[in-house]
Amino acid sequence: MLYTPETYQIEKDLVQWCKTGESVTIPGTRQKGLDQYRRLLRNNIHNAMEQAFPIAFTVLTESQWDTLIDDFHANHPAATPQVWKLPEEFYTFVEAHRYAEKFSLPFLNDLLHFKWIEIAVHTMEDQQPEPYRNEGDPLADTIVVHPEHSIIRLKYPVHLYAAEEALAHEGDYFLLPFRTRDFDVRFVDLPALHAFYFEQIKQGKTGVKLLKELEQSSGKILNTKALKQNLLGFIQTMFSQGIFCGYQAGI
Amino acid sequence: MQPSIQTGIGFRREIADDFFGQTVLQPDFIEMAPENWVGLGGYWGDVFRRVTECYPVILHGLSLSIGSPEEPDWTFLKEVKKMIRKYNVKIYSEHLSFAKLDNAHLYDLLPIPFRKDAIKHIVKRIRQVQDFLEMQLTLENVSYYTPVAAEMRETDFIREIVAESGCGMLLDVNNVYVNAHNHGYNAKEFIDQMPLDKVNYFHMAGHLQVAPDLIIDTHGEPIIDPVYDLFDYTTAKMGKNVPVLLERDFNFPEMEELALEMKKLREITAKNSKHHVIHA
Repeated sequence: MLYTPETYQIEKDLVQWCKTGESVTIPGTRQKGLDQYRRLLRNNIHNAMEQAFPIAFTVLTESQWDTLIDDFHANHPAATPQVWKLPEEFYTFVEAHRYAEKFSLPFLNDLLHFKWIEIAVHTMEDQQPEPYRNEGDPLADTIVVHPEHSIIRLKYPVHLYAAEEALAHEGDYFLLPFRTRDFDVRFVDLPALHAFYFEQIKQGKTGVKLLKELEQSSGKILNTKALKQNLLGFIQTMFSQGIFCGYQAGI
Repeated sequence: MQPSIQTGIGFRREIADDFFGQTVLQPDFIEMAPENWVGLGGYWGDVFRRVTECYPVILHGLSLSIGSPEEPDWTFLKEVKKMIRKYNVKIYSEHLSFAKLDNAHLYDLLPIPFRKDAIKHIVKRIRQVQDFLEMQLTLENVSYYTPVAAEMRETDFIREIVAESGCGMLLDVNNVYVNAHNHGYNAKEFIDQMPLDKVNYFHMAGHLQVAPDLIIDTHGEPIIDPVYDLFDYTTAKMGKNVPVLLERDFNFPEMEELALEMKKLREITAKNSKHHVIHA
């Protein structure tokens, strides 16, 4: 860096002012101009977050929303050069600083997570599935999963109910957002067992192996016939949604 | 840049549909911010692919932050370089400002103190970036709402940076107008002192006057006549013809209105281009 410490400090002071509004003395500046910068920078954050999280913007009071924006703007060192990725940093900031507890809005983290994951899947880089064949045995063969998806766990079903209403339905919800061929994002609600199936199949485990492991680890308490039917039903649903593409080629 | 590539417009999601098929706009090129498109897949990734098949692309970055104390973000610049190569981009422009500090992004352009040490620092950064990209960097004069600890005139600051670094200059004529109004100087005299031989790209835009002594560079309004006049003055004074971009970022009118603005820019460019041919 070829800046003198003085010039570096001037830039730091200007940024500090823009982020916090704390009074600074910078030679040669005009207050009206400084005010504009503070307003412009904050507006950029506000607008980007309002666009990304329209439900949270509606559910939170104006004061709560402003607190989030001001705190984030003042204290968070934004890492991404791409402002459309900033909502992820906002969501993790809100979660890490426990605003859900501070505002007594337990569903807040899930609300932000749900919206961010929708953006993330909608915008994620295009990815091709591994080579696959269409014909195969759903239980015996390795299934190829389309990579344009994510899976999240929610405590409150904010994808099913209005945020306040979701409070009454606290539990374990597994949600699988995926991108369709015409670029829409769809969500599949998964029971815990199916979320487990999905993760295992994604790792390359066949249905046969999965069932065997379940049988071995659970002793004789499982109804293996029912479990097999359940797994087959799940696999068929995943194929019909396009999340499962086919069977690993060359095997 | 081919001689026929002259008048372009910023490609924005809000008006993306107007760039395909029978378009009213008919730009000679489009300008895109790499930050808005790098790593983007799905619907918008597909739109990006299709539009880059239809028009030549100029890249106009937002996050290089040449006036930051810290090193440039080489990882992101690597992505920019890939984009430059892939889409045969002839101009990569950025801003003579800073938009992050200590690697924390601010998502807007802050004014650099017009000081000698800042010139040295920025010249070094420009050279680093140019070496990395293996092409000339083009830098834009930005609008600013307050000077910051200035020790010299803005014109001297810009001239020295351009001369010492070998970068090109994106002359934003609207920014000159806005700054002249906000800081009380003569816009034409400012233009006279610019290194016009190094200008390889123009920006033209609208602005919003929010107080008698304050204009904000919004890119959300039509270009006003005094800014067209300043563009006319500048292009007449230039010894060459360079591409000009209509910047419109929001508050979009009917496409016919934008097409008319582009037509006016074409007419001014053509008139002054002809003028130079006659006097060559």
